[in-house]
Amino acid sequence: MDYKYIEQLLDRYFLCQTSLEEEEILRSFFRQEEIPAQLLPYRDLFRYEKAAQKQELGEDFDAKVLAMVNQPVVKARRVRLSERFRPFMKAAALVAIVLTIGNAAQQSFSKKTDPIVRPSVVYTETEPHADVASDGISKVDSIAQPEVQEVVTPD
Amino acid sequence: MKKVDFRTDILPLKNKLYRLALRITLDSAEAEDIVQETMIRVWNKRDTLSELDSVEAFCLTVCRNLAIDRHDKKEAQNVELQEELHDRPDHSTPLDDLVQDERMQIVKQLFDQLPVNYREVMQLRDIEGKTYKEISTILGMTEEQVKVNLFRARQRIRDKFKEIENYGL
Repeated sequence: MDYKYIEQLLDRYFLCQTSLEEEEILRSFFRQEEIPAQLLPYRDLFRYEKAAQKQELGEDFDAKVLAMVNQPVVKARRVRLSERFRPFMKAAALVAIVLTIGNAAQQSFSKKTDPIVRPSVVYTETEPHADVASDGISKVDSIAQPEVQEVVTPD
Repeated sequence: MKKVDFRTDILPLKNKLYRLALRITLDSAEAEDIVQETMIRVWNKRDTLSELDSVEAFCLTVCRNLAIDRHDKKEAQNVELQEELHDRPDHSTPLDDLVQDERMQIVKQLFDQLPVNYREVMQLRDIEGKTYKEISTILGMTEEQVKVNLFRARQRIRDKFKEIENYGL
């Protein structure tokens, strides 16, 4: 087979006289398995040029760069000290309100539940009434139950 | 020209930008970082993009300038760069997965050893298939200068191949 054309192209390639199409012909030619011995030294060069076209970045790069581009532009803004602490002041105010309400509720509940909470007070306060009630009950009991008199009858 | 959309006009350029940045910096992590920065810079100028002839060429220019800038800084930073270059084939980059082949690695090293102005022009012409006019726009030089750089780059590669052929490795 005559490789004159390829040899000529190769010479012109090194002299930078080839067109893009001719350079592609060289790359295609050197991709074949059978290369004549005199051209073999240059095979690797054109194979490398072809292989290097496939060098690529992965999908993860897309995600990274898209995330960076879609982010809104963040600009530096001057913030006064009072503005900076405003959220904390809000939080503190909220805590104060909750505590006040909680305390108030606690007090009103504790007033209602006082007698129940302290049985001793209940006892001392109700004891005299209970005594009276108890006496009353025992009196009623004695009236309601007539004395059973034993009648002894002579035989 | 219609309004520029990030997903359809800028994001698909990521691989071309990455390959160019990688060719200049020879560091995959740094190249990825450069692509990211390029895209964000271009996107921030989106209002003026519609006046451009080619968004792609503009992106490649921004990317190339960022990469050159970082490359220069790195070169100025340490004396150990040469040593680092020799170590490089051991570091795995995405291309290494593609060209596991030892012979491909040799060619890659030949490319890496070229001066940066030769590497970038070979990348744009022989790997991305750009015309001389496009390359001159991207690199901000005349077509003649592009051809001169490409000629020297290819000659140097050819000499290296001849060396390998004559003396082995």
